[in-house]
Amino acid sequence: MISMSRKVCIIGGATTPFDYGPTGFESIEGGAAECIKETQQDIPEFSLRDLDLMVYSHFSVHFSHQLSSEWIIHDHLGLVGLPHYRVENGGNTGGSALYAAALAVMSGHHDVVGIVGWETMDTVSQSQGSEFIAMASDIRYELMVGGIYPIYYAAMANKWMKENKVTEEDVAMIAVKNKNNAMDNPKAQWYRNDHKYITVDDVMNSRLMSYPIKKYDCCLMTRGVAFLIVCSEKYAKKINPDHYVTIDGMGLSSCTIRAGDRLNNPGWKERYGPGYPEMTEFAACRNSAERAYKMAGIKDPVKDIDFGEIHDAFSTSEAQIYKALGLADQNTIAQFIRDERTSVNGDIPMNPGGGLLGYGHPVGATGLMSTIECYYQLAGMIPQKHLSRKTEVPNPECGIVNSHAGTGTSISNFILRRH
Amino acid sequence: MMEAVTIKNKKNKFSEAPVFTEKKEYRPEGVNETGLTFIGHEISEDKTTMNQFLHYDQLYTIRHGWNSKFFIGLLDGKIMGTHCPRCGDSWVPVRTHCWNLDCNLQKTEWVEMPLTAKVHTWTVAGWSGRSSLKRLPIILVYAIIGNSKVAIANELHGLKPWDVEFDMPLKIVFKPKEQRIGAVTDFHFEPADNWKPSPMNKEKDRIKKLVEPVYEWVKTLK
Repeated sequence: MISMSRKVCIIGGATTPFDYGPTGFESIEGGAAECIKETQQDIPEFSLRDLDLMVYSHFSVHFSHQLSSEWIIHDHLGLVGLPHYRVENGGNTGGSALYAAALAVMSGHHDVVGIVGWETMDTVSQSQGSEFIAMASDIRYELMVGGIYPIYYAAMANKWMKENKVTEEDVAMIAVKNKNNAMDNPKAQWYRNDHKYITVDDVMNSRLMSYPIKKYDCCLMTRGVAFLIVCSEKYAKKINPDHYVTIDGMGLSSCTIRAGDRLNNPGWKERYGPGYPEMTEFAACRNSAERAYKMAGIKDPVKDIDFGEIHDAFSTSEAQIYKALGLADQNTIAQFIRDERTSVNGDIPMNPGGGLLGYGHPVGATGLMSTIECYYQLAGMIPQKHLSRKTEVPNPECGIVNSHAGTGTSISNFILRRH
Repeated sequence: MMEAVTIKNKKNKFSEAPVFTEKKEYRPEGVNETGLTFIGHEISEDKTTMNQFLHYDQLYTIRHGWNSKFFIGLLDGKIMGTHCPRCGDSWVPVRTHCWNLDCNLQKTEWVEMPLTAKVHTWTVAGWSGRSSLKRLPIILVYAIIGNSKVAIANELHGLKPWDVEFDMPLKIVFKPKEQRIGAVTDFHFEPADNWKPSPMNKEKDRIKKLVEPVYEWVKTLK
């Protein structure tokens, strides 16, 4: 098993406001520049000249109507000569780019790695956008029958909820939590567009997407850009000695592209025994969390982790992720949700930044947004980044970042600790 | 002056090129393959923001290759699966090599599957991709065909959306032969002939309430 041979740190980052349609930062290269400038306000010592690698995090060429659009950004930032490449891994693109950047630093080959992530999902209609994303399902078998991710997720969640005695109202509480958290975050799409506090009844009465998922159980389609700096501890101590965090654990794992192929899969059977993950559990989440926990010395995640920013593409998937992360089991998961343990005032807050349900889900930028929010919490920067201290986790030492793709096809987890 | 070079070791062909003798076109109107075309723009009143409209119209060829038998089977009203001669696992959707690492990518064999299945899980969709909107609400099931080790997604027709159940027995129904296109939409599931829906209950009432506005909304679509 890998050990962290060289400490990897995060010293700063920022996102553009997340939105759908005009944002003020409508060009992707303009958005990237503004994210870097905001980061420089937080850490004035950071210079673009310090970067020795750029990793770009972008999912769909269909949305960008431009191949290799990272070249436009890289060129615009004045970084000619600097090595660069793009990472693409579905909804886990951001997490995978972070993984790639961390590996680069860990190896000793690079010291200061910038990551820019983005997606421009408002270039086509919402229904066309849903279909574009669904082209990451197996189009030969799944695209034309049902055809969009909320439907695949609903089919998985319907069975999971019954098996775990979790109700529509339970998962609606998760949607309420994250969208209402986003009301304290001026960059969040929910704050910028819908701009309202909601209740469980609002979720229950919102239009059917695919039973048991309603509109308010779903994340948002978003235009947005994010920037993050990953570096060696030597550089972190030099540039931002008082506010850096370390990536103490990380895991990346994979599962089948078609959810139906998880039944009886020999790869999982040999790891976790027969009957798992069925079509209901996110085995790649469990598997990548186990790797990250082992690396970071996490024995009991509920006690050892203070909070998380996790991939709530749907309220139902946040509930499924709680279980896959080992926060609860089949007997305790429903009560775990009902006790509101993941609210900002709970013992393990999840998505105080609003998550995908509230902040937004511009795919290539999403995992970076989660990492940045986790970093802000650990670095004590919430009072300057959010509208109030309502969404500040009290004295956090350890956070988890989770990034998730496909129907659970690729999932990464990171353990971040305050230095 | 350069000398002429004769290529001696010409690369062997991987396989003979197939001779395509059957061809069918069912291209809808409006697919013109014009490629990339700028078709318009808009500019804000204060002249600070411009949007330009790019139309992208391309035809893709999905080469099914070694998976072709499954899709050709659909045209003939058959569900073709594959099966591993070493470990005995079977699949629809098909795998051309076994998934079991102990079988070390053993090539699989084609088998005709029965036209019966069982619901593994289900959902009732009230929203979908652009090309499916008019068919809403859609009951999507993941069902296990015959002794397949995996579940396949497809639509379930022939019952009210709120009547679908876990483990319900299904039959596979194909479109009339002349309407088939060699895609998974050539077939759908229907309840097995002897199946009867259970009485209304709380969950069924809930689904009915969620679905009723969808019927109304679909009527408003052009």
